[in-house]
Amino acid sequence: MKAVEEAIRSDAPATRVVVVEDDQASADVLQRRLQANGMVVSVAHDGRRGIELVEELLPDLVLLDVMLPDTDGYDVCLRIKSNSATAPIPVIFLSARGEVVDKVRGLSCGAADYITKPFQAAELLARIDAVLGQARNPRVPRLGRSAERAAGERRVARVAIVDGALRAHVEQLLGTRFDLAEDSDTPDVVVLEGNASLPADAPEDVAVVRVTAGRVSDDRTEIVPVDAQLPRIVDLTVRERGLDHDLQSAAEALIVLAAAIASHDRPSTGHTERVAARAVQIGRALGLDESTRMTIRLGALLRDVGHARLPGSLLAKSGELSPDERAMLERHPVLGEEILAGFKRLSGLLPIVRHHHERLDGTGYPDGLRAEQIPLEVRIVTVADRFEALLADRSDRPAVSESEAVRILQGAVARGELDAAVVAALATQVRADGGNERDR
Amino acid sequence: MPRRVTTSVAAAHEADAERRHEHRFQVSESIARLVMRTTANNLPLSRDDRPYQWSTTTYCDTLNWSIFRAAQKGSAMQLRIREYHRTRPQGVMNPGPAWIEFKDDEEDTSLKERFGVSMDVARSFLRGETALPDPDHGLAERAGRLLKDGARPVVVTQYNRLAYNSLDSSVRITADHNLMYFALPWEARDDNDQPSPLGSLLAMEPDVIVEMKWYGELPHWAVDLHAYLKENTHEERPSKFIVAMRWLLGETDGAKKKKK
Repeated sequence: MKAVEEAIRSDAPATRVVVVEDDQASADVLQRRLQANGMVVSVAHDGRRGIELVEELLPDLVLLDVMLPDTDGYDVCLRIKSNSATAPIPVIFLSARGEVVDKVRGLSCGAADYITKPFQAAELLARIDAVLGQARNPRVPRLGRSAERAAGERRVARVAIVDGALRAHVEQLLGTRFDLAEDSDTPDVVVLEGNASLPADAPEDVAVVRVTAGRVSDDRTEIVPVDAQLPRIVDLTVRERGLDHDLQSAAEALIVLAAAIASHDRPSTGHTERVAARAVQIGRALGLDESTRMTIRLGALLRDVGHARLPGSLLAKSGELSPDERAMLERHPVLGEEILAGFKRLSGLLPIVRHHHERLDGTGYPDGLRAEQIPLEVRIVTVADRFEALLADRSDRPAVSESEAVRILQGAVARGELDAAVVAALATQVRADGGNERDR
Repeated sequence: MPRRVTTSVAAAHEADAERRHEHRFQVSESIARLVMRTTANNLPLSRDDRPYQWSTTTYCDTLNWSIFRAAQKGSAMQLRIREYHRTRPQGVMNPGPAWIEFKDDEEDTSLKERFGVSMDVARSFLRGETALPDPDHGLAERAGRLLKDGARPVVVTQYNRLAYNSLDSSVRITADHNLMYFALPWEARDDNDQPSPLGSLLAMEPDVIVEMKWYGELPHWAVDLHAYLKENTHEERPSKFIVAMRWLLGETDGAKKKKK
């Protein structure tokens, strides 16, 4: 833990580097050299610890030896590159293995560079700078691609440009993309020069774009140059702001509603929230974007909203249901869809609400859909719902451990009911968390 | 021996003329280096395989896992899409060239046929919209039946391959490094034709998988090499498809097959 604590304690905006090197002397020399150049360095002496450090610290760079005591550097690199949280972190191999096949193999594993030992410190530092520079650059195209979709559209944006030497230039640039609304009390975004303070009357949570006419400093990447990229950056900021605001408002209202409904028909408090959180975790593991994860969360929270139209006595019944009662209960997805259908903003959630009891083999309800007819978001919520249900005591069976619940769901996969990849993502999480025996 | 032809649907078509032997060994990195050094002294590098390129194979199965169940019993036809890349892709079914492959496995022999197509054609084939010619062994027809039964991409392997091939293709020896198994969510009907992101990493092989494939009799040096591999293997391996499916379905307890 010492390495993690030391790295976290450091508040300086220095480059954080994880060095994975089994040779103590080499690691010490490397650490001192990097620290002398202003970097915060954490060292691991084997592959397992190296991966742990990278996952805990999310450093700016990993320097990785190929020959390690417990595994090899290629394996460590692939694990870093296979985890969506750590994949963007550049890796540089440092190795005495200098054959072409070793270098090709290292680079094909996703490393940004491969340096053979012995190396000159100056060369290593130069390569580190080059790799870090490249790693920072992808942010610009990402912003650009998103904004390019709006090419041709002119939008009205409430952009407040704070007075300063650059005001005229900024206005001219933004005028190429926006019809700027003047004198807005509630701007979408405020454009500031350098470190200038936010105006006192600016809304507390307003988005800010800081600009400079000079060279952009490597350690102040939040300040962008006043150039042709600026309209796209502001455009993206405005769009993100609007989306965040809309979804946040909708989410807050819906979560309150869902919690109120769940408290009436669930014996265990917090079940709905746990299902939503679990579904979002699975979505993240499957690489789904934030917007889709938000849909999954809201859909999971509202999936049983149809219970509101069922008799309370039916929901509270603890014994076996009669065929008529079962048929009535199985109407709740349709009833839930009817309740939410009037809310246009919620149209994206309706498939989750209607289909979260469908099974891939067509034996679910209400529509008996089959695999390819069921969207991935729905399949994720279904798995999360069944998993969390197994962890809770019910009148007809006791709660099971997380590991046992995964085994039960894998049985459902084998029978063709659930998506194997979704259950595999869940199983990976449970394994990573230690598959604890939860007591609810 | 493999034959190559061009058809109207596929830019390239390769098929084994007869069943060939196939043995797999899981060995340490150091053993693999020795084995491949010996191999390099006797066989040329395969002209069609860039050394250490990434091979990404997407395997199909049905909802009731009929292909996997049959494979476990020792006889099944794999239906898979293969892609080659210089760097490891984060998704499968990427735009560009692809191979639709059929591989009929029996105890220790296999029969393989594959069609080089664009990924658009491969997707269309998986949707049942494009039929492939079936000139050799009836494998394409069997694949069509599997697709009608609901076979869809379910699991993926990725690895770096180093391949050596005799000039007459009678012997092929490969070493697969960095073998990884990934889950792949079922594609929904309304998903577009974008690459599918890989699902969870199911497992990584710690060692190197060496495969020997040959027709008829092995040359004497290869007989010795085969014996050496057998002595030094951690275990004799089922196919990558079986191992991947065991991981996918949580049936990992039976993944290890003891050395004979």
